[in-house]
Amino acid sequence: MPVQSLLLLSHALFCLGIYGILTRRHAIGLLLSIELILNAAALNFVLFSRAFGHVQAQAFALFIIALAACEAVVGLAIIIRLSRTAKTVFADHVDLLKG
Amino acid sequence: MDHAAAPAVTLTLPQLGWIPALPLLAFTLLLFFGRRLGRFSPWVAVAALAGALGITLSLAGTVFHGHRVAVSWAWLSADAPVWSIGLSVDGLSWLMLFVVTSIGTMIALYSMGYMHGDPRLSRFFAYLSLFCASMLLLVLADHFLLLYVGWELVGLCSYLLISFWFEKPEAAAAGRKAFITTRIGDTGLLLGILLLFWTAHELHFSQLDAVRAHLSPGLLTLISVLIFLGAAGKSAQIPLHVWLPDAMEGPTPVSALIHAATMVAAGVYLVARTLPLFTPESLQIVLTIGLLTHLFAGTVALTQTDIKRILAYSTLSQLGLMMVALGLGAAPLAMFHLGTHAFFKALLFLGAGSVIHAAHAQELGQLGGLRKTMPWTAALFFIAAVSMSGLFPLSGFWSKDAILLAARHDHPWLLWVLLGGAAMTTAYIFRVYLRCFEGTAKDHHGATPHAHESPMIMVLPMAMLGLGAIGAGLAGSPWLHHPLFRLLGETHVHEGVDVPILAWSTVAAALGLGLAWVVGVQQRYLLPPALRPLGSQLYRLAANKYYVDELYDRFLIRPFLDLARGLAGFDQRVIDGAVNGAGRVGWGLGELKAWFDQAVVDQLVNGLARTVRGAGATLRWIQTGIVQQYLFVVVMAVVVLSALLRR
Repeated sequence: MPVQSLLLLSHALFCLGIYGILTRRHAIGLLLSIELILNAAALNFVLFSRAFGHVQAQAFALFIIALAACEAVVGLAIIIRLSRTAKTVFADHVDLLKG
Repeated sequence: MDHAAAPAVTLTLPQLGWIPALPLLAFTLLLFFGRRLGRFSPWVAVAALAGALGITLSLAGTVFHGHRVAVSWAWLSADAPVWSIGLSVDGLSWLMLFVVTSIGTMIALYSMGYMHGDPRLSRFFAYLSLFCASMLLLVLADHFLLLYVGWELVGLCSYLLISFWFEKPEAAAAGRKAFITTRIGDTGLLLGILLLFWTAHELHFSQLDAVRAHLSPGLLTLISVLIFLGAAGKSAQIPLHVWLPDAMEGPTPVSALIHAATMVAAGVYLVARTLPLFTPESLQIVLTIGLLTHLFAGTVALTQTDIKRILAYSTLSQLGLMMVALGLGAAPLAMFHLGTHAFFKALLFLGAGSVIHAAHAQELGQLGGLRKTMPWTAALFFIAAVSMSGLFPLSGFWSKDAILLAARHDHPWLLWVLLGGAAMTTAYIFRVYLRCFEGTAKDHHGATPHAHESPMIMVLPMAMLGLGAIGAGLAGSPWLHHPLFRLLGETHVHEGVDVPILAWSTVAAALGLGLAWVVGVQQRYLLPPALRPLGSQLYRLAANKYYVDELYDRFLIRPFLDLARGLAGFDQRVIDGAVNGAGRVGWGLGELKAWFDQAVVDQLVNGLARTVRGAGATLRWIQTGIVQQYLFVVVMAVVVLSALLRR
């Protein structure tokens, strides 16, 4: 399998994630988009480890999975608090930092 | 003479302090509780004075035996002996004590009637008590400093009592004049005291003989002349006499007590007390001033028409006579005349007060024929007038003739001058008597016909003083072997009545009486027609008091006021101008700074603030608070940066 096409896949995933994070209003959607970005990164690690023969790089993919789990926990906790205090889960309804 | 030979003993008696303390206590009581005491307040003053008189009389035996009574309290414990409050009584001060307390008591009694119904009755008696306390302190003081305290206090009381009816502008002005004129003399006295202390370090009267031996004659003359200046101010001698006639604006009992009997005599007392300091030169000055005052005041008294003013000039004249005696170095004679004069002159003033009280007039032209309505006053006034004229054997005779005798002994020409003065004395006092009490009652002004005899409370003290005016002179007469002169320490006195002097003084008195009758009452011209213009000129001169007041006004007061006005102008124009100019410059500078502050500093600060606010306002739209927009910016920035940083 050529590196090039896999690289295109991971870029497509990354861009999908960026697009999602910029356009989705629902907080869960945002979390899902972040997962896409993280997985694009993980795919990149795996891809380059196969291409250059660095096995150590595959460990980073495992780290990213663990990190993603932690991130999902923290993100869900934030969303629950948000829905309880602000009575909303839409990102553009929360503008406390508006100047 | 065995008494004088006995050794002088000094006794310490603490009750001496009560003599000035009693009237002072009365003053304090009247000052604080006078309004509550109301019409009983006079009795407080009378009781205090009578108490002081009682203590004085109880000392008589001791003092007449030639002993001194003294008491002293420590005052400042700096360089010991000078700084103590010491009171002492010897013959000289006992005589003054007796005069002040006895006449003071009589006059306080009299004032009860005279001041009856005055709204400030208790205030009057408070001042009177304070005066007596100060006068007694002055007399009792055994050194200069305490005497000076009393000296200034009597001056203050004199001021307060002259201007007692301060609603009258004349009375207020007279009080001021008296105070300021005597201040000039007081300054002399103070300088004398300071000079004495500076040179001799001794202010006790008992040490004056030692001081005399210690100091040079020139210094002594200077000190004694300065002291005499104080005495001349208080005793109203030329040229400081101008206040006394004006002082007659005060209530008549005050004139009698302060301005006839006691305070004005303080000057004579002071000179008599400090006579050891006087050199022949300064005695010459005392003699000259005394003689000038005696004659000057006598001639003025002949021409005045206000009875109190006549009596005031008569007081001046008699004080001048006492100064003459002092100038002859005969202090006992001066003190003797002081004592007798106090009695008859106080009586004359009280008589005049009685007339004023009854007739409400004090101009000779408005008075007349009062003997029928006021027999007691007339009789007592007559006694006092005869006594002052020096007719044998009333009080005035003994004291005046003693002075004549001393004058003949020292300067024969002086005898004739003084006899002329005696004739004038008789002339002016009988002019008053004859025109007030004899003749017909005047009917214009309606004053005299309504006159009535004064109440008992006024007549009784006058009668007591009348006894003094008759008999006080006997204390210095050869009939009783001069107990008074022995009291005053004079050992060699003329024994027996000197017949030529008696004859001459009687002739002088008769001459004065004739003059009073012919010129004063019948208003006939005695001078030949050729001399009349000169005579009337002299008369006008005397009637205008030799223009002394006008001279002072022209040469002292007016230039002084002009100077003050000039200085005030300088102050207003130059000094105020400078101050105002400095103020205006400061004000202008302040305005300038304020403008700079507003235009530059404030604008800078405001501009900064405005810039910041504007920037903030324009930048705030970026801060939407929506996370995704921030993220979008980040992403775009990364895209742009990575495009730019591409290699």
